[in-house]
Amino acid sequence: MADYWSSVILPMLEGAQMTLLLFFIAIIVSVPLGFLLTLAVNSKIKLFSWLATIYITIMRGTPLLLQLLIICFGLPMIPGIGEYLTIDRFAAACLGFILNYAAYFAEIFRGGLLSIDKGQYEAAKVLGLTKSQTTRKIILPQMFRVALPSVANESITLIKDTALLYAVAVPELLHFAETAVNRDFSIVPYFIAGAIYLIMTIILTIFFKWLERRFKYE
Amino acid sequence: MALIEVQNLKKSFGDNEVLKNITFTVEKNDVIAIIGPSGSGKSTMLRSLIHLEEINGGTVKIAGEAFVEQGVYKRPDVIKKATAKMGMVFQQFNLFPHLTVKDNLELAPKMAGKKADIAAMTSDLLQKVGLSAKEKAYPKSLSGGQQQRVAIARALMMNPEILLFDEPTSALDPELTGEVLKVMKDLAEEHMTMIVVTHEMGFARSVANKVVFMDGGEIVEAGTPDELFGNPQHERTKAFLAKNLK
Ligand SMILES: Nc1ncnc2c1ncn2[C@@H]1O[C@H](COP(=O)(O)OP(=O)(O)O)[C@@H](O)[C@H]1O
Ligand SMILES: [Mg+2]
Repeated sequence: MADYWSSVILPMLEGAQMTLLLFFIAIIVSVPLGFLLTLAVNSKIKLFSWLATIYITIMRGTPLLLQLLIICFGLPMIPGIGEYLTIDRFAAACLGFILNYAAYFAEIFRGGLLSIDKGQYEAAKVLGLTKSQTTRKIILPQMFRVALPSVANESITLIKDTALLYAVAVPELLHFAETAVNRDFSIVPYFIAGAIYLIMTIILTIFFKWLERRFKYE
Repeated sequence: MALIEVQNLKKSFGDNEVLKNITFTVEKNDVIAIIGPSGSGKSTMLRSLIHLEEINGGTVKIAGEAFVEQGVYKRPDVIKKATAKMGMVFQQFNLFPHLTVKDNLELAPKMAGKKADIAAMTSDLLQKVGLSAKEKAYPKSLSGGQQQRVAIARALMMNPEILLFDEPTSALDPELTGEVLKVMKDLAEEHMTMIVVTHEMGFARSVANKVVFMDGGEIVEAGTPDELFGNPQHERTKAFLAKNLK
Protein backbone atom coordinates (compact mmCIF):
# COMPACT_ATOMS: atom_id res chain seq x y z
CA MET A 1 0.00 0.00 0.00
CA ALA A 2 2.77 2.37 1.03
CA ASP A 3 4.50 1.25 -2.10
CA TYR A 4 1.53 2.09 -4.28
CA TRP A 5 1.38 5.47 -2.66
CA SER A 6 4.99 6.32 -3.41
CA SER A 7 5.14 4.75 -6.86
CA VAL A 8 1.78 5.84 -8.28
CA ILE A 9 -0.15 8.39 -6.28
CA LEU A 10 2.69 10.61 -5.15
CA PRO A 11 3.99 11.22 -8.69
CA MET A 12 0.45 11.93 -9.80
CA LEU A 13 -0.03 14.47 -7.04
CA GLU A 14 3.22 16.08 -8.10
CA GLY A 15 1.87 16.12 -11.64
CA ALA A 16 -1.28 17.72 -10.29
CA GLN A 17 0.89 20.55 -8.94
CA MET A 18 1.96 21.26 -12.50
CA THR A 19 -1.69 21.21 -13.53
CA LEU A 20 -2.61 23.68 -10.81
CA LEU A 21 0.37 25.91 -11.50
CA LEU A 22 -0.61 26.15 -15.16
CA PHE A 23 -4.21 26.75 -14.19
CA PHE A 24 -3.41 29.66 -11.89
CA ILE A 25 -0.89 31.26 -14.23
CA ALA A 26 -3.31 30.97 -17.15
CA ILE A 27 -6.29 32.37 -15.20
CA ILE A 28 -4.43 35.21 -13.55
CA VAL A 29 -3.00 36.46 -16.83
CA SER A 30 -5.73 35.60 -19.34
CA VAL A 31 -8.64 37.21 -17.46
CA PRO A 32 -7.13 40.74 -17.45
CA LEU A 33 -5.74 40.18 -20.95
CA GLY A 34 -9.21 39.11 -22.12
CA PHE A 35 -10.61 42.26 -20.57
CA LEU A 36 -8.09 44.40 -22.44
CA LEU A 37 -9.07 42.60 -25.64
CA THR A 38 -12.72 43.44 -24.96
CA LEU A 39 -11.76 47.09 -24.59
CA ALA A 40 -9.82 46.86 -27.86
CA VAL A 41 -12.80 45.30 -29.67
CA ASN A 42 -14.99 48.14 -28.42
CA SER A 43 -12.37 50.79 -29.10
CA LYS A 44 -13.22 53.78 -31.22
CA ILE A 45 -9.87 53.30 -32.95
CA LYS A 46 -10.88 51.05 -35.83
CA LEU A 47 -7.44 49.45 -36.16
CA PHE A 48 -7.52 48.18 -32.55
CA SER A 49 -11.03 46.87 -32.86
CA TRP A 50 -10.19 45.16 -36.12
CA LEU A 51 -6.96 43.55 -34.89
CA ALA A 52 -8.57 42.35 -31.67
CA THR A 53 -11.48 40.85 -33.58
CA ILE A 54 -9.15 38.99 -35.95
CA TYR A 55 -7.09 37.75 -33.02
CA ILE A 56 -10.15 36.46 -31.18
CA THR A 57 -11.51 34.81 -34.30
CA ILE A 58 -8.27 32.93 -34.92
CA MET A 59 -7.73 31.86 -31.32
CA ARG A 60 -11.28 30.61 -30.91
CA GLY A 61 -11.50 29.14 -34.37
CA THR A 62 -8.49 26.82 -34.20
CA PRO A 63 -7.74 23.97 -31.76
CA LEU A 64 -5.85 24.84 -28.61
CA LEU A 65 -3.77 21.71 -29.17
CA LEU A 66 -2.64 22.99 -32.55
CA GLN A 67 -1.74 26.36 -31.01
CA LEU A 68 0.30 24.60 -28.31
CA LEU A 69 2.13 22.48 -30.87
CA ILE A 70 2.97 25.56 -32.89
CA ILE A 71 4.29 27.47 -29.88
CA CYS A 72 6.25 24.54 -28.42
CA PHE A 73 7.53 22.85 -31.57
CA GLY A 74 6.63 24.98 -34.54
CA LEU A 75 8.22 28.31 -33.69
CA PRO A 76 11.68 26.84 -32.98
CA MET A 77 11.63 25.37 -36.48
CA ILE A 78 11.36 28.71 -38.25
CA PRO A 79 14.62 29.15 -40.16
CA GLY A 80 16.83 31.98 -38.92
CA ILE A 81 14.81 33.19 -35.93
CA GLY A 82 13.69 29.79 -34.65
CA GLU A 83 16.55 29.40 -32.20
CA TYR A 84 15.50 32.59 -30.41
CA LEU A 85 11.93 31.29 -30.11
CA THR A 86 12.86 28.18 -28.19
CA ILE A 87 11.63 28.58 -24.63
CA ASP A 88 11.07 26.22 -21.77
CA ARG A 89 8.25 23.78 -22.62
CA PHE A 90 6.18 24.65 -19.61
CA ALA A 91 6.60 28.37 -20.17
CA ALA A 92 5.65 27.89 -23.80
CA ALA A 93 2.57 25.92 -22.78
CA CYS A 94 1.57 28.67 -20.32
CA LEU A 95 1.90 31.21 -23.09
CA GLY A 96 -0.29 29.10 -25.36
CA PHE A 97 -2.99 28.73 -22.73
CA ILE A 98 -2.91 32.42 -21.89
CA LEU A 99 -3.18 33.52 -25.51
CA ASN A 100 -6.01 31.09 -26.17
CA TYR A 101 -8.03 31.66 -23.02
CA ALA A 102 -7.72 35.43 -23.25
CA ALA A 103 -9.72 35.21 -26.47
CA TYR A 104 -12.48 33.23 -24.75
CA PHE A 105 -12.60 35.58 -21.77
CA ALA A 106 -12.74 38.53 -24.17
CA GLU A 107 -15.86 37.08 -25.77
CA ILE A 108 -17.42 36.46 -22.37
CA PHE A 109 -16.78 40.03 -21.21
CA ARG A 110 -18.05 41.43 -24.49
CA GLY A 111 -21.28 39.51 -23.94
CA GLY A 112 -21.43 40.95 -20.42
CA LEU A 113 -21.06 44.48 -21.76
CA LEU A 114 -23.78 43.96 -24.35
CA SER A 115 -26.15 42.73 -21.68
CA ILE A 116 -26.11 46.05 -19.82
CA ASP A 117 -29.26 48.05 -20.44
CA LYS A 118 -28.84 51.45 -22.05
CA GLY A 119 -30.95 52.84 -19.23
CA GLN A 120 -27.93 52.35 -16.96
CA TYR A 121 -25.83 54.69 -19.07
CA GLU A 122 -28.68 57.19 -19.25
CA ALA A 123 -29.32 57.16 -15.51
CA ALA A 124 -25.60 57.70 -14.92
CA LYS A 125 -25.51 60.55 -17.39
CA VAL A 126 -28.49 62.46 -15.99
CA LEU A 127 -26.96 62.10 -12.52
CA GLY A 128 -23.88 63.90 -13.82
CA LEU A 129 -21.43 60.99 -13.74
CA THR A 130 -18.53 61.31 -16.15
CA LYS A 131 -17.83 58.59 -18.72
CA SER A 132 -15.00 57.13 -16.67
CA GLN A 133 -17.04 57.19 -13.44
CA THR A 134 -19.86 55.45 -15.28
CA THR A 135 -17.51 52.79 -16.59
CA ARG A 136 -15.84 52.16 -13.24
CA LYS A 137 -18.80 52.37 -10.93
CA ILE A 138 -21.74 51.22 -13.03
CA ILE A 139 -20.70 49.26 -16.08
CA LEU A 140 -17.71 47.13 -15.06
CA PRO A 141 -19.19 45.77 -11.82
CA GLN A 142 -22.30 44.71 -13.72
CA MET A 143 -20.27 43.30 -16.59
CA PHE A 144 -18.21 41.11 -14.26
CA ARG A 145 -21.32 39.97 -12.45
CA VAL A 146 -23.03 38.95 -15.68
CA ALA A 147 -19.86 37.23 -16.87
CA LEU A 148 -19.31 35.27 -13.66
CA PRO A 149 -21.18 32.03 -14.59
CA SER A 150 -19.43 31.88 -17.96
CA VAL A 151 -16.06 32.59 -16.35
CA ALA A 152 -16.78 29.70 -13.97
CA ASN A 153 -17.53 27.40 -16.90
CA GLU A 154 -14.44 28.44 -18.75
CA SER A 155 -12.29 27.90 -15.66
CA ILE A 156 -13.53 24.35 -15.30
CA THR A 157 -12.77 23.74 -18.95
CA LEU A 158 -9.31 25.14 -18.35
CA ILE A 159 -8.62 22.65 -15.55
CA LYS A 160 -9.49 19.82 -17.91
CA ASP A 161 -7.58 21.36 -20.80
CA THR A 162 -4.38 21.30 -18.76
CA ALA A 163 -4.27 17.62 -19.75
CA LEU A 164 -3.09 18.93 -23.12
CA LEU A 165 0.31 19.43 -21.47
CA TYR A 166 0.62 15.72 -22.07
CA ALA A 167 0.81 16.34 -25.81
CA VAL A 168 3.72 18.74 -25.50
CA ALA A 169 5.53 16.41 -23.11
CA VAL A 170 5.37 18.49 -19.97
CA PRO A 171 5.03 15.96 -17.14
CA GLU A 172 1.71 16.56 -15.41
CA LEU A 173 -1.04 14.54 -13.78
CA LEU A 174 -2.05 12.57 -16.86
CA HIS A 175 1.53 11.82 -17.78
CA PHE A 176 2.20 10.10 -14.46
CA ALA A 177 -1.07 8.19 -14.66
CA GLU A 178 -0.13 6.97 -18.12
CA THR A 179 3.34 5.91 -16.90
CA ALA A 180 1.82 3.90 -14.05
CA VAL A 181 -0.76 2.28 -16.32
CA ASN A 182 1.90 1.12 -18.74
CA ARG A 183 4.24 -0.09 -16.04
CA ASP A 184 1.68 -1.93 -13.88
CA PHE A 185 -0.76 -3.06 -16.58
CA SER A 186 -3.55 -1.63 -14.48
CA ILE A 187 -6.13 0.98 -15.38
CA VAL A 188 -6.59 2.04 -11.76
CA PRO A 189 -4.23 5.05 -12.15
CA TYR A 190 -6.56 6.44 -14.83
CA PHE A 191 -9.40 6.42 -12.34
CA ILE A 192 -7.22 8.00 -9.70
CA ALA A 193 -6.31 10.72 -12.19
CA GLY A 194 -10.02 11.18 -12.96
CA ALA A 195 -10.74 11.49 -9.24
CA ILE A 196 -8.05 14.15 -8.82
CA TYR A 197 -9.40 16.18 -11.75
CA LEU A 198 -12.88 15.79 -10.32
CA ILE A 199 -11.80 17.04 -6.90
CA MET A 200 -10.21 20.10 -8.50
CA THR A 201 -13.25 20.93 -10.62
CA ILE A 202 -15.62 20.41 -7.70
CA ILE A 203 -13.61 22.75 -5.48
CA LEU A 204 -13.59 25.30 -8.29
CA THR A 205 -17.34 24.93 -8.79
CA ILE A 206 -17.97 25.46 -5.09
CA PHE A 207 -15.76 28.54 -5.13
CA PHE A 208 -17.61 30.10 -8.07
CA LYS A 209 -21.02 29.26 -6.59
CA TRP A 210 -19.90 31.09 -3.47
CA LEU A 211 -18.82 34.07 -5.58
CA GLU A 212 -22.14 34.10 -7.41
CA ARG A 213 -24.05 34.08 -4.14
CA ARG A 214 -21.75 36.70 -2.67
CA PHE A 215 -22.52 39.03 -5.61
CA LYS A 216 -26.18 38.22 -6.02
CA TYR A 217 -27.31 41.73 -5.08
CA GLU A 218 -30.56 40.66 -3.48
CA MET B 1 -37.17 84.61 -16.29
CA ALA B 2 -38.47 81.29 -17.49
CA LEU B 3 -36.66 78.26 -16.08
CA ILE B 4 -36.80 76.42 -19.40
CA GLU B 5 -37.26 78.03 -22.79
CA VAL B 6 -37.58 75.85 -25.85
CA GLN B 7 -37.71 77.54 -29.24
CA ASN B 8 -38.39 75.82 -32.56
CA LEU B 9 -37.00 72.50 -31.44
CA LYS B 10 -36.64 69.99 -34.28
CA LYS B 11 -35.56 66.41 -34.08
CA SER B 12 -35.41 63.63 -36.63
CA PHE B 13 -34.37 60.00 -36.46
CA GLY B 14 -33.10 59.46 -39.97
CA ASP B 15 -35.96 60.46 -42.27
CA ASN B 16 -38.47 60.28 -39.46
CA GLU B 17 -39.21 63.82 -38.29
CA VAL B 18 -40.21 63.20 -34.70
CA LEU B 19 -40.38 66.76 -33.34
CA LYS B 20 -41.50 69.57 -35.63
CA ASN B 21 -40.93 73.02 -34.31
CA ILE B 22 -41.69 72.69 -30.64
CA THR B 23 -41.85 75.95 -28.67
CA PHE B 24 -42.79 76.31 -25.02
CA THR B 25 -41.62 77.71 -21.72
CA VAL B 26 -41.57 76.40 -18.19
CA GLU B 27 -41.79 78.87 -15.31
CA LYS B 28 -40.43 78.24 -11.85
CA ASN B 29 -42.85 76.09 -9.82
CA ASP B 30 -44.73 74.92 -12.89
CA VAL B 31 -46.00 71.37 -12.90
CA ILE B 32 -46.52 70.55 -16.52
CA ALA B 33 -48.25 67.38 -17.65
CA ILE B 34 -47.53 66.25 -21.19
CA ILE B 35 -50.13 63.97 -22.66
CA GLY B 36 -50.64 62.50 -26.10
CA PRO B 37 -50.80 59.25 -28.03
CA SER B 38 -47.91 56.82 -28.10
CA GLY B 39 -45.28 57.74 -30.69
CA SER B 40 -46.17 61.44 -30.63
CA GLY B 41 -42.67 62.43 -29.51
CA LYS B 42 -43.22 63.06 -25.78
CA SER B 43 -40.25 61.04 -24.62
CA THR B 44 -37.99 62.42 -27.32
CA MET B 45 -38.94 65.95 -26.31
CA LEU B 46 -38.23 65.32 -22.63
CA ARG B 47 -34.97 63.53 -23.40
CA SER B 48 -33.85 66.41 -25.60
CA LEU B 49 -34.15 68.80 -22.66
CA ILE B 50 -31.57 66.85 -20.68
CA HIS B 51 -29.33 66.00 -23.63
CA LEU B 52 -30.15 62.32 -23.86
CA GLU B 53 -31.05 63.09 -27.48
CA GLU B 54 -29.26 65.53 -29.76
CA ILE B 55 -31.66 67.84 -31.55
CA ASN B 56 -31.32 68.98 -35.17
CA GLY B 57 -32.58 72.49 -34.79
CA GLY B 58 -33.84 75.03 -32.28
CA THR B 59 -32.74 76.46 -28.97
CA VAL B 60 -33.00 75.14 -25.44
CA LYS B 61 -32.30 77.53 -22.57
CA ILE B 62 -32.11 76.39 -18.97
CA ALA B 63 -32.32 79.21 -16.42
CA GLY B 64 -31.59 81.71 -19.17
CA GLU B 65 -28.52 79.94 -20.48
CA ALA B 66 -28.72 78.16 -23.86
CA PHE B 67 -26.88 74.84 -24.09
CA VAL B 68 -27.99 74.42 -27.69
CA GLU B 69 -28.68 77.46 -29.85
CA GLN B 70 -30.28 77.15 -33.27
CA GLY B 71 -29.23 73.53 -33.44
CA VAL B 72 -25.61 74.19 -32.44
CA TYR B 73 -24.44 72.69 -29.18
CA LYS B 74 -22.22 74.63 -26.77
CA ARG B 75 -19.06 73.32 -25.16
CA PRO B 76 -19.44 70.15 -23.03
CA ASP B 77 -18.99 72.05 -19.76
CA VAL B 78 -21.76 74.49 -20.69
CA ILE B 79 -24.06 71.59 -21.58
CA LYS B 80 -23.20 69.80 -18.35
CA LYS B 81 -23.80 72.89 -16.23
CA ALA B 82 -27.23 73.40 -17.81
CA THR B 83 -28.37 69.79 -17.67
CA ALA B 84 -27.14 69.45 -14.07
CA LYS B 85 -30.05 71.71 -13.09
CA MET B 86 -32.38 68.89 -14.02
CA GLY B 87 -33.03 65.42 -12.70
CA MET B 88 -34.82 62.68 -14.56
CA VAL B 89 -37.02 59.77 -13.57
CA PHE B 90 -37.49 56.99 -16.12
CA GLN B 91 -40.34 54.64 -16.88
CA GLN B 92 -38.09 51.64 -16.19
CA PHE B 93 -36.59 53.21 -13.00
CA ASN B 94 -33.02 52.45 -14.12
CA LEU B 95 -31.74 51.94 -10.61
CA PHE B 96 -28.22 50.52 -10.37
CA PRO B 97 -28.89 46.84 -9.60
CA HIS B 98 -25.50 46.18 -8.01
CA LEU B 99 -25.86 48.95 -5.43
CA THR B 100 -28.00 49.12 -2.33
CA VAL B 101 -30.69 51.76 -2.08
CA LYS B 102 -28.37 53.94 -0.01
CA ASP B 103 -25.52 53.56 -2.50
CA ASN B 104 -27.87 54.26 -5.41
CA LEU B 105 -28.64 57.58 -3.75
CA GLU B 106 -25.10 58.43 -2.68
CA LEU B 107 -23.02 57.45 -5.69
CA ALA B 108 -23.64 60.57 -7.78
CA PRO B 109 -23.18 63.20 -5.04
CA LYS B 110 -20.02 61.42 -3.88
CA MET B 111 -18.64 61.28 -7.41
CA ALA B 112 -19.45 64.97 -7.80
CA GLY B 113 -17.49 65.67 -4.62
CA LYS B 114 -20.47 67.31 -2.87
CA LYS B 115 -19.53 68.83 0.42
CA ALA B 116 -22.98 68.58 1.99
CA ASP B 117 -23.79 65.94 4.55
CA ILE B 118 -24.67 63.21 2.09
CA ALA B 119 -25.70 60.64 4.68
CA ALA B 120 -28.16 63.06 6.27
CA MET B 121 -29.65 63.88 2.88
CA THR B 122 -30.03 60.19 2.13
CA SER B 123 -31.93 59.54 5.30
CA ASP B 124 -34.13 62.63 4.82
CA LEU B 125 -35.02 61.73 1.27
CA LEU B 126 -35.66 58.07 2.02
CA GLN B 127 -37.97 59.17 4.78
CA LYS B 128 -39.70 61.52 2.38
CA VAL B 129 -40.43 58.70 -0.07
CA GLY B 130 -41.34 56.34 2.77
CA LEU B 131 -38.45 53.91 2.37
CA SER B 132 -36.24 54.50 5.42
CA ALA B 133 -36.37 50.79 6.21
CA LYS B 134 -35.01 49.82 2.81
CA GLU B 135 -31.66 51.59 2.99
CA LYS B 136 -29.65 48.38 2.76
CA ALA B 137 -31.92 46.59 0.28
CA TYR B 138 -30.95 45.93 -3.31
CA PRO B 139 -33.31 47.17 -6.05
CA LYS B 140 -34.20 43.62 -7.12
CA SER B 141 -35.83 42.95 -3.77
CA LEU B 142 -38.15 45.98 -4.03
CA SER B 143 -41.54 46.29 -5.69
CA GLY B 144 -41.83 48.47 -8.80
CA GLY B 145 -43.46 51.24 -6.79
CA GLN B 146 -40.67 51.16 -4.23
CA GLN B 147 -38.03 51.17 -6.94
CA GLN B 148 -39.57 54.21 -8.58
CA ARG B 149 -39.68 56.03 -5.26
CA VAL B 150 -35.98 55.25 -4.78
CA ALA B 151 -35.35 56.60 -8.29
CA ILE B 152 -37.11 59.85 -7.36
CA ALA B 153 -35.06 60.16 -4.16
CA ARG B 154 -31.89 59.45 -6.14
CA ALA B 155 -32.70 62.25 -8.57
CA LEU B 156 -33.37 64.63 -5.66
CA MET B 157 -29.94 63.94 -4.15
CA MET B 158 -28.42 66.18 -6.83
CA ASN B 159 -30.64 69.11 -5.77
CA PRO B 160 -32.21 69.63 -9.20
CA GLU B 161 -34.23 72.74 -9.89
CA ILE B 162 -36.37 70.83 -12.34
CA LEU B 163 -37.48 67.20 -12.36
CA LEU B 164 -38.39 65.43 -15.58
CA PHE B 165 -40.60 62.33 -15.42
CA ASP B 166 -41.10 60.04 -18.41
CA GLU B 167 -44.21 57.95 -17.73
CA PRO B 168 -43.09 57.20 -14.17
CA THR B 169 -46.01 54.89 -13.45
CA SER B 170 -46.47 53.15 -16.80
CA ALA B 171 -44.33 50.15 -15.87
CA LEU B 172 -46.14 49.64 -12.56
CA ASP B 173 -48.97 47.36 -11.57
CA PRO B 174 -52.08 49.53 -11.19
CA GLU B 175 -52.20 49.08 -7.43
CA LEU B 176 -48.67 50.52 -7.12
CA THR B 177 -49.15 53.73 -9.11
CA GLY B 178 -50.76 55.53 -6.18
CA GLU B 179 -47.71 55.48 -3.92
CA VAL B 180 -45.56 57.00 -6.67
CA LEU B 181 -48.12 59.64 -7.67
CA LYS B 182 -48.40 60.56 -3.99
CA VAL B 183 -44.65 61.29 -3.80
CA MET B 184 -44.91 63.39 -6.96
CA LYS B 185 -47.88 65.25 -5.57
CA ASP B 186 -45.92 66.01 -2.40
CA LEU B 187 -43.10 67.40 -4.53
CA ALA B 188 -45.54 69.57 -6.44
CA GLU B 189 -46.88 70.91 -3.16
CA GLU B 190 -43.33 71.81 -2.16
CA HIS B 191 -43.17 73.78 -5.41
CA MET B 192 -40.74 71.58 -7.24
CA THR B 193 -40.74 72.47 -10.92
CA MET B 194 -41.71 69.35 -12.82
CA ILE B 195 -42.43 68.17 -16.34
CA VAL B 196 -44.34 64.92 -16.34
CA VAL B 197 -45.10 62.82 -19.38
CA THR B 198 -48.04 60.74 -18.24
CA HIS B 199 -51.09 58.69 -19.10
CA GLU B 200 -52.51 59.40 -15.65
CA MET B 201 -55.23 61.85 -16.60
CA GLY B 202 -56.32 62.17 -12.99
CA PHE B 203 -52.83 63.31 -12.00
CA ALA B 204 -52.62 65.72 -14.96
CA ARG B 205 -55.94 67.20 -13.99
CA SER B 206 -55.50 67.54 -10.26
CA VAL B 207 -51.77 68.20 -9.77
CA ALA B 208 -50.54 69.96 -12.92
CA ASN B 209 -51.05 73.66 -13.47
CA LYS B 210 -50.47 73.31 -17.22
CA VAL B 211 -51.32 70.50 -19.57
CA VAL B 212 -49.72 70.10 -22.96
CA PHE B 213 -51.25 67.85 -25.60
CA MET B 214 -48.79 66.52 -28.20
CA ASP B 215 -49.60 64.64 -31.37
CA GLY B 216 -47.50 63.83 -34.41
CA GLY B 217 -44.42 65.68 -33.13
CA GLU B 218 -46.27 68.92 -32.44
CA ILE B 219 -47.81 70.68 -29.50
CA VAL B 220 -51.40 70.71 -30.58
CA GLU B 221 -52.80 72.48 -27.58
CA ALA B 222 -51.72 73.68 -24.15
CA GLY B 223 -53.56 75.27 -21.27
CA THR B 224 -54.71 74.89 -17.71
CA PRO B 225 -56.21 71.52 -16.82
CA ASP B 226 -59.66 73.14 -16.79
CA GLU B 227 -59.18 74.57 -20.26
CA LEU B 228 -57.70 71.47 -21.80
CA PHE B 229 -59.93 68.88 -20.20
CA GLY B 230 -63.07 71.05 -19.86
CA ASN B 231 -63.00 72.85 -23.16
CA PRO B 232 -60.58 71.34 -25.68
CA GLN B 233 -60.27 73.41 -28.87
CA HIS B 234 -58.89 70.94 -31.37
CA GLU B 235 -60.46 67.85 -32.86
CA ARG B 236 -57.33 65.80 -32.19
CA THR B 237 -57.41 66.77 -28.51
CA LYS B 238 -61.09 65.91 -28.26
CA ALA B 239 -60.57 62.53 -29.93
CA PHE B 240 -57.64 61.72 -27.65
CA LEU B 241 -59.50 62.75 -24.50
CA ALA B 242 -62.60 60.84 -25.55
CA LYS B 243 -60.50 57.69 -25.76
CA ASN B 244 -58.49 58.30 -22.59
CA LEU B 245 -60.97 59.73 -20.12
CA LYS B 246 -63.27 57.09 -18.82
N1 LIG C 1 -33.80 56.00 -30.71
C1 LIG C 1 -34.71 56.09 -31.70
N2 LIG C 1 -34.39 55.76 -32.96
C2 LIG C 1 -35.29 55.87 -33.95
N3 LIG C 1 -36.55 56.28 -33.79
C3 LIG C 1 -36.95 56.61 -32.56
C4 LIG C 1 -36.06 56.54 -31.44
N4 LIG C 1 -36.72 56.94 -30.33
C5 LIG C 1 -37.96 57.25 -30.74
N5 LIG C 1 -38.12 57.07 -32.07
C6 LIG C 1 -39.31 57.34 -32.85
O1 LIG C 1 -39.71 58.65 -32.55
C7 LIG C 1 -41.12 58.73 -32.49
C8 LIG C 1 -41.52 59.34 -31.18
O2 LIG C 1 -41.14 58.47 -30.14
P1 LIG C 1 -41.31 58.85 -28.61
O3 LIG C 1 -40.68 60.15 -28.37
O4 LIG C 1 -40.81 57.70 -27.83
O5 LIG C 1 -42.88 58.99 -28.47
P2 LIG C 1 -43.80 58.91 -27.16
O6 LIG C 1 -42.92 59.02 -25.96
O7 LIG C 1 -44.74 60.02 -27.29
O8 LIG C 1 -44.49 57.57 -27.22
C9 LIG C 1 -41.67 57.33 -32.73
O9 LIG C 1 -42.03 57.23 -34.08
C10 LIG C 1 -40.47 56.47 -32.45
O10 LIG C 1 -40.53 55.31 -33.22
MG1 LIG D 1 -42.58 57.64 -24.41
